[in-house]
Amino acid sequence: MEQHRDAGDNLNQPDFEQIFLPHLDAAYNLARWLLRNDQDAEDAVQEAYMRAHKAFARFRGGDGKAWFMTILRNVCYTMIKKLRSHETPEPFDEEIHQSMGESEMQEAFRQKANAESLHLALEKLPNEFREIIVLHDLEGLAYKEIADVVGIPMGTVMSRLARARGRLRTELVAANAKESLS
Amino acid sequence: MNHDEAAKLLGPYQDGELDLANCIKLEEHLANCPSCQQKLTQEKELVGLIQSETPRFKPSPFLKTRIQAALREEKSAATSMPWWKQLSWGWTYSSAVCAVMVIVAVGFFSMQGIPQLDQEAVANHVRSLQASHLMDVASTDQHTVKPWFAGRLDYSPQVVDLTPSGYPLIGGRLDVLNKRNVAAIIYQRRKHYINLFIWPSDTGSLSEKLYNQNGYHALGWTKSGMNYLAVSELGEKEFREFVTMIQDQTLDSRPGE
Repeated sequence: MEQHRDAGDNLNQPDFEQIFLPHLDAAYNLARWLLRNDQDAEDAVQEAYMRAHKAFARFRGGDGKAWFMTILRNVCYTMIKKLRSHETPEPFDEEIHQSMGESEMQEAFRQKANAESLHLALEKLPNEFREIIVLHDLEGLAYKEIADVVGIPMGTVMSRLARARGRLRTELVAANAKESLS
Repeated sequence: MNHDEAAKLLGPYQDGELDLANCIKLEEHLANCPSCQQKLTQEKELVGLIQSETPRFKPSPFLKTRIQAALREEKSAATSMPWWKQLSWGWTYSSAVCAVMVIVAVGFFSMQGIPQLDQEAVANHVRSLQASHLMDVASTDQHTVKPWFAGRLDYSPQVVDLTPSGYPLIGGRLDVLNKRNVAAIIYQRRKHYINLFIWPSDTGSLSEKLYNQNGYHALGWTKSGMNYLAVSELGEKEFREFVTMIQDQTLDSRPGE
């Protein structure tokens, strides 16, 4: 029989806050990487908690991280549409990428990779690439969970993550190459 | 497994997401392919760097508080829900514990043949220890507590402050004892509370006899036309000390005159 629950029916199951508040840091990190602004990220996280609370009746158990991140991600993309429709992403620098040999690239990558350059490189990635790196490499979600959160098949998670990492590597190398030219 | 297939699986392999059959095939290929070995090393290096170097943004400490407050507001706004569903689990649990305490205390007292008034007073005391039921008026000032009862009772209880003696007055409450409204004056001793019930003795006076059962003490007396009944979980020595001080400091004239 289907179990009905509502926001206040806590006698047989853990409390809403007990399930979802532990994911606050992970949620904020993703929101902050997607929205690139502290205030927007906080607003998105709070909005996600309100929506999750309203939708708690549809929560089917588990640790709730993937379920909550799905809601949060939707909130973030709605905000991005509203806030940043006028912005255009910086074009991908094919020239620098192509002018270097594999061993040169690897060397440049090693020199440049530190916290600051990783931050900048990750910021340059399109949202779909950035979010997959944040979800997998920073927040430790499994491929299956990412498939649920982003709403794509497992195979797409695999290929998109590979492309995202490739792009990140290229951005790191490009940043280093630009610096040594100037 | 050919080279292109293998190259595609290096990421999932390093992420621990590859199934066993593909793992074995890939490892067979890796053993004979220096190019894939190098790619795997690079992949590991990159992921290691992302994990160790990429800043993980932390929310401000206030965000959690803000969210909890917003959730509480949301819950209290949900008035269409029946009240028992709106109780949080913690609240229900502590109430249940208190209710059990009252039942146990009352049951125990009645077994010991303690007069009904004392049973009731102890039950009132235990119930008063439930969150937010201890006091209707919270004040350490006797001149605030005493007037508070005016208009709520048909008599005016004497309110004595024992702060200098280590039993600070912390407030007052309206309670019901023996089917009539009575004043409950609350004192504190460390983490313990003392309820002092006061009402006119027109319906009968109290004999001064200490009840010491189940960790609770109750002691009643009558003075100047008023009944006093003190209840607490304090140890007997301190409890008697408290009672003596109240007796000494309540005036011999009829209170309120």
